[in-house]
Amino acid sequence: MLSTDLRNNILVVRVEEKRIDASKAPAFKDQMSQCIEAGQNQIVLDLSQVDFIDSSGLGALVSCLKRLGPRGSLAVAGATGAVSRLFTLTRMDRVFALHQSVDSAVEQLSA
Amino acid sequence: MKIRHILLILTAFLGAALLVAVAFQIRDELLEYQTAERMVASNTVRERLLLGTDALANERSQTYVLLIGQKNEASGLMELRDVRRQVDDLLNTAEREITVTQASLSNTNSSLATVSRIRREIGTLRQQADRLLGPAEGVRGEQFAPRWFQEATRLVEELQSSRMTILQRERPLDPVLRTEANLRAFGAILSESIARNQALMSRALENSSEIGGLETDAISQNAGRAALAWELIDGQMVVPLSESVKAAVSKTHENYSSTFAPLQRSLLAALFGKVPPTLGPEEWYDLTGRTLSNIAVMQRELLRSTRERLEAELSRARRSVALWSALLLLGATAVLASILVVRRRVVRPLEGLSQAMLRLADNDLEISLPRLTRGDEIGAMNDALRVFKANAIQRQRTQNEKQVLHARLRDAYSQLRKDLEAAAVIQRTMLPPSARIDGVEYHGLFRPSSLIAGDTYNVVRRTDGAVGFFQVDVAGHGAAAALVSVACHHALSQAILTRTQGTPLEEIVVQINDDWPEDLPYFTMILGEIDSRSQRASIIQAGHPSPLVIRSDGTVEMIGEGGFPVGMLPAASYERLEFDLGPGDRLFIYSDGLVEAEDQAGEQFTEDRLCALVREAAAEPSAALLDKLDDVLRNWRGSETLDDDLSVLMLERSAERMPANAVH
Repeated sequence: MLSTDLRNNILVVRVEEKRIDASKAPAFKDQMSQCIEAGQNQIVLDLSQVDFIDSSGLGALVSCLKRLGPRGSLAVAGATGAVSRLFTLTRMDRVFALHQSVDSAVEQLSA
Repeated sequence: MKIRHILLILTAFLGAALLVAVAFQIRDELLEYQTAERMVASNTVRERLLLGTDALANERSQTYVLLIGQKNEASGLMELRDVRRQVDDLLNTAEREITVTQASLSNTNSSLATVSRIRREIGTLRQQADRLLGPAEGVRGEQFAPRWFQEATRLVEELQSSRMTILQRERPLDPVLRTEANLRAFGAILSESIARNQALMSRALENSSEIGGLETDAISQNAGRAALAWELIDGQMVVPLSESVKAAVSKTHENYSSTFAPLQRSLLAALFGKVPPTLGPEEWYDLTGRTLSNIAVMQRELLRSTRERLEAELSRARRSVALWSALLLLGATAVLASILVVRRRVVRPLEGLSQAMLRLADNDLEISLPRLTRGDEIGAMNDALRVFKANAIQRQRTQNEKQVLHARLRDAYSQLRKDLEAAAVIQRTMLPPSARIDGVEYHGLFRPSSLIAGDTYNVVRRTDGAVGFFQVDVAGHGAAAALVSVACHHALSQAILTRTQGTPLEEIVVQINDDWPEDLPYFTMILGEIDSRSQRASIIQAGHPSPLVIRSDGTVEMIGEGGFPVGMLPAASYERLEFDLGPGDRLFIYSDGLVEAEDQAGEQFTEDRLCALVREAAAEPSAALLDKLDDVLRNWRGSETLDDDLSVLMLERSAERMPANAVH
């Protein structure tokens, strides 16, 4: 469900699903954990393919952030529509660094 | 038709065919045996008749020479008695044989009648001869002799012809036997010719001067007949006869040709030429007697050969019958044995297997299958059947285990379901029924996605007159979310009731967020308070969808811009939102399950559709509005089920104050 790409030593994780809901959240969490445990702490999560995230999906996202800890950073790129509204509603826009595109996210993280 | 019938009928049919064939063969052999028996009987009778005929011819010659007075009467009569006794013995034997063989020979009665008639006539002739041989009749006897001779000759001929009649009836098919019969017939002619001449020539030699032409012609005829008989005998010799027969014939012929024939020729020539013959009548009689006995030896040899052949044939036929009977018995035994073997080795085991198969097919696993130690197809079938049975037993055991497991699962499931249903009842009783407290009327809509929900809400009247309320949506759904929601319900209700006056509302949320165990799922909520004395209300929005305010004039506003969920991030801060809620104004709080409800095509209901619906139904009372919303959502989903828990809490400030009637 995830595809990864390393740019400027930053791991770009692209979610290849339309939804992150209760049925997908555990797998998403596992795969993200594997990336983090592999030593990546600069991650850009590309949510441009995702239309909908439910409460379980949001919980999984937050748990990844917690796992990354204070030294790492998890930027979110390409969140639109319902996903963007969810981030606003839950104030996650203040927790995750949101970017319009992967490029700008990578650029900001590399700086 | 069953296989046992096919096999047994086939075996029985083959066996019957075999037995019928053998039976036919036995019938043929029996017929041959009967024929051989008849031949033997016929031959025995004819043998006696032939010897009887010869003896009668001999008696005739003896009597004749006595009648013509050529012989010394005293010794001649003695000899004659012997000869007569011989004739009687032979004819007696012949009669006895005919009687004995009555069963196998046809038409024996006429033969018997002929023989007894001839014997009577012989008796008469003998009486005549005895009278003529008396001392007073010397001359008359000589005159009467030729007539007597003729009568005796007729009897000899009749005896001969009776023998030929029997031969005619039982004619042998074997060429050697036929030839031997022919040889005997010709030998009889020869013997008779010589015997006649024995008598006639004796008389002619006695007084050759008085002999007439008639008598000489008769002698000559007899001589010619004898020569012809020899020619006929020689003509038969091409057939492969036995060596002893050939030797007997050629010896007799040689004897005849070297001594008798030339002598008879010279005597005849002397008689014709009226020259006195060189030989006396007695010498002639003895010589002829020797020749006759030579011929008799030949005849006896022929009879012996025929008898032996017939006896050999008879015993061969007997052996054949015995052999074929033994074969019949053997065949019958073999057929019986095959039927028994087919029954025992094929039919019964097959029937047993077929029964066992049918019972196995009926799932009867109690059948016992024998352990056969045979290596043929039936053994293989039996082995396969044993495997089938073992598999069937294994299968049944597995099925039984499955059923037990299934029943256990069903029990466990029904127990779980009962528990959940009880929990659902409890959860529902925790929710406040529609009521009015201190001028605030409220209504709820609660639809869990399964039996119990992660959603909950409550309305609580504080002692200071304020009305506190909350709606919670725990992340996820199901039992875990429901348990957390119950904990929240209790914690929030208590917090509202025990909050000391002046403590800001957001403090409660901060406190709960800080105390929230990290392992539990987070939740979103609206916590609020309506001041019954002022027109104000306030809420804390913690990640929950923004509520709607329906003004008494029908306008709909969305308030709040969000906030952190509770239990997600420690040290999160919360803001209180204060707003006007005048008489008739309504606050519409809902969980995200409402706007995220999807139709069959996966399209969400959305805030826009919710706002439109609420605007449209803004004039209706809260209960009716919630009913309508419920209907619309059911139609939207196209089913009774939901993917996420859904709840709505509507609070309305009454236009006028009413006494409190319910507190939860």
